[in-house]
Amino acid sequence: MILESLLTQYNYVAVVALLGIGLYMIVESTNLVKKVIGLNVFQTGIFLLFITAAYVEGGAAPVLTNEAPYVSPLPHVLILTAIVVGVSLVAVALALIVRIYGAYGTLDEDVLREVRANE
Amino acid sequence: MIEPLALPLQTTVSALEAALLAFVLGCAVIAAVLRDVLGVIIAAAAYSLGVAVIWVVLRAPDVALTEAAVGAGVTTLLFLLTIAKTVNPTDERSLELPSVGSGAALLAFVLVLGSTVPAMPAIGGSPVTDGEVSQYYLEHAHEQTEVDNVVTAVLAAYRGFDTLGEAVVVFSAGVAVLVVLQREVFV
Repeated sequence: MILESLLTQYNYVAVVALLGIGLYMIVESTNLVKKVIGLNVFQTGIFLLFITAAYVEGGAAPVLTNEAPYVSPLPHVLILTAIVVGVSLVAVALALIVRIYGAYGTLDEDVLREVRANE
Repeated sequence: MIEPLALPLQTTVSALEAALLAFVLGCAVIAAVLRDVLGVIIAAAAYSLGVAVIWVVLRAPDVALTEAAVGAGVTTLLFLLTIAKTVNPTDERSLELPSVGSGAALLAFVLVLGSTVPAMPAIGGSPVTDGEVSQYYLEHAHEQTEVDNVVTAVLAAYRGFDTLGEAVVVFSAGVAVLVVLQREVFV
């Protein structure tokens, strides 16, 4: 069953792996910048789920000068929006990280917790 | 539903797709285990580029362009600017491997999510693509909007308010960055 999934549902297997790696980076990394990169990886896993769901075997890109059948345009639009929102999120997160470094002089979560406990 | 063994109609993994997925997953794992943040950022940029090529293979050129420009370009730039302004941790350990506890938790998470994979439709035969909304866009985009790229038509016309909301999010993020950094201009 696993082998069959790998052959016909390989992208969904990759989605699960990416979500796992992303979550691991978010939770387990002590460096704040790496946590944000983990957020990005997790996010891309979700994108892969959507774009794979839009795919039609033998389909063309949803541009009407191509021959039918087309892949579904709707998930593409949703993911385009999500990519741009994702980069806005990264920008704000990184700005907060720069401020945290300015205030505490570290980006390590454990050190940060100690410094804050001693205040 | 399609019989599980009706394989001729289903798409199986091609060498190109397998290679791309292996590259992307490899980059993600490297990003997860490296301790050097500059190395992690470079791995993440390569990852993003690989993902952009996967979008091309899945016939999503608009998403691929955005991913290459925004994901591999702008995001990488933001990360590089951040470590230029802060610090790149240097210590003896070059790798950051999961502890037993977190490894077990990760395995449990992946197994629980992975158990849903066999219930997903085969790639290339998803019911999403036959949906009423998708078909409406494909049939009416040309006459209603005179735009041949259906993704553009949906983004700018049918879901125009959604895109306006997206612009509001980007504007808010720009303002938030300035407020957090206590600056009045970006440059």
